[in-house]
Amino acid sequence: MTRKSDREEVFFLSEKAPKRRLEDATNARKNRAEIVKAFSHGQVSRRELMKLGLITGGGLLAPIPGLNPFMTSACAKGGGGGSVDTIPTGAPPSPLFGVQAFTQPMPRFDVLPRAPIPAVVDATHPHPLNPVPTATANQTQMAVDPALGGGSGPIEGRPPGAIWAHQRFNIFPPQVAVEVTQEGAKANAVYNPGVPSSLNSGINPAQALAPKFHPGLPAQSSLAMWTFNGTIPPKLIQGRYGEPILFRHHNKLPADVSQNGGFGRHTISTHEHNGHHGAENDGFTGAYFFPNQFYDYHWPIVLAGRDTVNVNATDPRAGSPNGSGGITKVPGDWRETMSSHWFHDHMFSFTAQNVYKGMAGMFNIYSALDRGNEAINDGVNLRLPSGTAKDFGNLDYDVNLMVADKAWDQNGQLFFDIFNFDGFLGDIMTVNLSYKPFFEVERRKYRFRILNGSASRFVKIALSDGSPMIQIANDGNLLPHPVTLTQLDELGIAERYDIVIDFSRYTVGSKVWMVNLAAHENGKKPSADLTLSQALSGTSLDPCVGKFLEFRIVRNPVRSDVSQVPDPLIPNPDLSSIPVARTRSFDFGGDATQSSTNPITAFTGPWGISTDGGTRLNADFGRVSAAPKFGTREVWTLTNSGGGWDHPIHIHFEEGQILARNGSAANVPAWETGRKDVYRLRPGGSVTLTMQFRDWGGMFMEHCHNTVHEDNAMLLRWELDDGGAPFLRPLPTPIPSPQGVTFISPDEVLSTAL
Amino acid sequence: MKRNQLLRLSAAVLFMGGLLSGLDSTAYDNTRWGAGYFPNVELTTQDGTKVHFYDDLIKGKMVVIELIYTRCVDACPLETARLAQVQRMLGDRVGKEIFFYSISIDPEQDTPKVLKEYAEKYHAGPGWLFLTGKKDDIDLISQKLGLYAPPNDRNRDGHTPAVVIGNEVTGQWMRNSATDNPRFLAILIGDWMNSWKNRQAETPKSYADASVLKIADKGQYIFATHCAACHTIGHGDKIGPDLRGVTSLRDRAWLARFIARPDQMIAEGDPVATELFKKYKQVNMPDLRLADEDIHALIDYMQNQTETAAPEPASGAHP
Repeated sequence: MTRKSDREEVFFLSEKAPKRRLEDATNARKNRAEIVKAFSHGQVSRRELMKLGLITGGGLLAPIPGLNPFMTSACAKGGGGGSVDTIPTGAPPSPLFGVQAFTQPMPRFDVLPRAPIPAVVDATHPHPLNPVPTATANQTQMAVDPALGGGSGPIEGRPPGAIWAHQRFNIFPPQVAVEVTQEGAKANAVYNPGVPSSLNSGINPAQALAPKFHPGLPAQSSLAMWTFNGTIPPKLIQGRYGEPILFRHHNKLPADVSQNGGFGRHTISTHEHNGHHGAENDGFTGAYFFPNQFYDYHWPIVLAGRDTVNVNATDPRAGSPNGSGGITKVPGDWRETMSSHWFHDHMFSFTAQNVYKGMAGMFNIYSALDRGNEAINDGVNLRLPSGTAKDFGNLDYDVNLMVADKAWDQNGQLFFDIFNFDGFLGDIMTVNLSYKPFFEVERRKYRFRILNGSASRFVKIALSDGSPMIQIANDGNLLPHPVTLTQLDELGIAERYDIVIDFSRYTVGSKVWMVNLAAHENGKKPSADLTLSQALSGTSLDPCVGKFLEFRIVRNPVRSDVSQVPDPLIPNPDLSSIPVARTRSFDFGGDATQSSTNPITAFTGPWGISTDGGTRLNADFGRVSAAPKFGTREVWTLTNSGGGWDHPIHIHFEEGQILARNGSAANVPAWETGRKDVYRLRPGGSVTLTMQFRDWGGMFMEHCHNTVHEDNAMLLRWELDDGGAPFLRPLPTPIPSPQGVTFISPDEVLSTAL
Repeated sequence: MKRNQLLRLSAAVLFMGGLLSGLDSTAYDNTRWGAGYFPNVELTTQDGTKVHFYDDLIKGKMVVIELIYTRCVDACPLETARLAQVQRMLGDRVGKEIFFYSISIDPEQDTPKVLKEYAEKYHAGPGWLFLTGKKDDIDLISQKLGLYAPPNDRNRDGHTPAVVIGNEVTGQWMRNSATDNPRFLAILIGDWMNSWKNRQAETPKSYADASVLKIADKGQYIFATHCAACHTIGHGDKIGPDLRGVTSLRDRAWLARFIARPDQMIAEGDPVATELFKKYKQVNMPDLRLADEDIHALIDYMQNQTETAAPEPASGAHP
């Protein structure tokens, strides 16, 4: 059967349209959404709407002013909860309850406590975690809630057995424990911003923070919002190289799966993005755990190349702050130093909902090069803006920002359209889970570690006065050279840009705003990058365009700014002497169908774990048999052959280097010349990158990072077999249940099941 | 919203361009994905029974929904064959607590009679309805379920080869590949969506019993993932023929071409393809878009299996 093609008309009103016309359009959008809703609820028939002249025979809303904002636009039929595109997706606009933008201070991230683990645990030096973590999953039994089927099940949700045991647990024994819960929203009585109130816009940490996007908005219910420790602001973990962390994650979500406020899943799996760890600690999408269980994630925090480069740890640039101004040298390649990670839920099929619901935090990794101290002048420390009081990890002038769009219902409770598999857009911009806040700064340099924590929205950041920012890192990796920009590139979902803004150019009492220039019409890709003046005009139909964060320049520096933005920062690893073992190319078939089917499995296909949803069931296992060899490097070209989508492709393992865009090295912008872990292909575009395969090669897995798209349920293990010939080996797929994890063998053919 | 309210509101929209207001019905519980969300449009089953989508098919149930059309030459046949496997694994729970729906996106062609024949071809059991209805209504369902995709060159029929799995009572809905491992799908539907309250009779293996994939045979893997829903090698005919000996029965080039473009060969009137099409109840062999090297690996595997397999009766294994 062939269906008549949908008209792909431009669903966009010029930003230069008269203001009155734009207001009409805004109203029309609202009206239209209501009518569509009434229709979809069966409260009125299509025939009645046609009789009323409200829709045409083809199902389009009639070109009537006040109803159809674009007059000629087609009814956009992406998947999902409505038959028209709306922002927010599938819902009316989020009410603001009279709250104004830029009237609340932005809370800094909430720093999670680090509990030191004694080198020798005994009666006088107890382990901070009870029970003490074990290499293989702790299978001690406990009673299971009747809402989860009852009976008994293991206290730890990690799959049992050797495959899921922490690799090299004895070589990298955890030295720091970080213990968190996942639970419903509640007030935060233990907020630790890591800085004095004067550096946190005057927020008094002693006063409990309610789970609100703004003090004037309703508190989120314990069903609507689920976060780490159940509180806001988002959490920050501080770690350093050579100091393995044991991240114990307790699931305290409701046992009754229906108690989810309309979206989100109470089973979770936490991914440390882009940790260079073993797969058992990677938050594998199918290795989720249940309410009342915990999961121990072991993050060794090693430099890539530790088994082959600088193995005797003689280079001080490959180092970690020693706590007293010096450097503890560690093995590995110093040019692989990473700085700004994030961690988030990666639940099979529910990643987007759960991350949107609040399951996202950030992880700053400190090193001899990037130690979070701007004063130590040892010839290694890059002295980026941070502070001076502590040996490492000063947050005074080193600020984590999580930008994310949200939407809420008429009660002010978070809303998500669970049937939109194309991408969900909110209509409210938040920073650190607060609605359009302000942030007080001194007249000096600040570092901002910016994470796009949206489900489907790309953001493109500029300052309202068009003044420059210095990008120093991409995906949390310091660039070879800092790049001065007046507009950052589009920041894809899960990407991180670290930038430095020098506020010394402003006078005390002045203000400047961060502005989003990227407009969306749906969750597939940005529809347009606006000019600064267009974005500031307030005329975009995308409510998330425009100012979203206000900087208030409140004082001169309390201490002189001794921070630097040196050039070079961290050069790329030199791969020229490492032969390219193989080149591969992966096509993402970027049209809507391919994407809505499961675009990322077209990516996972290369690893042989995909059946890609049915229409492109090709060649997966062949690629497995041609797997990367341990200790080699390869060159991959990822192509988005369609124009309708953009894909942020996330590759686990090691950071890669982009060699070319659309076939040419000249197309690689300066801010993409470092190491990355998320590759935005852009509609119709391609990225050629090179990667090495080392260290944790004993086991890895990979998956995608478009949070609205489905994840895949299989796991691959990459290992050296007895003969030394490497290959990818599909592992038994874990099937978690509250009563314990069972497995499906990958070679179950099921040919006789019919 | 009542109808007369809408009339009044429509008038307001038309003549005043005003805002509709006070229509919000979003609650922050799972009633959000219930009567207020799913269209209650009328559909017709393969037996000619009229049903309402929400009231009769969704409300209070666990459901598995796929969109198909009987003339499909792409993924639908494999989807449906996979779901038939899943249905067998779920046993008599299908029809009692779990319901399967295959909704035609080609309703003019797919009359109840056509759908009934289609259901029989795939050995669909009780509790699995094949539905047709008005095109607009089905489009609306498809959009509401997030399964709609506009047709284009790559995707000739605008059809998403995915299943939506849901539990209306708990408000849990997810989409999954329709061609995934059927055991995995059965566990998702039977256990996972139901919070382990009514466990599968057959549980998966323990860690000790589960194996890693030992044989790196590409052909075997492709056969398992692409062919085994409809074919066996030496275990008798299923939806399609037993493929034991097929490599000696057919010329290799013919086999390769048939695997690559079965629809085209039938359309061209290839005598063998046409005969097979008739013999196997006119079930379309799906065009699975395998690459040439995959097809040859598959043929090698079938040949190898034929040679190594102990002789078995070529029929009689049919359930």
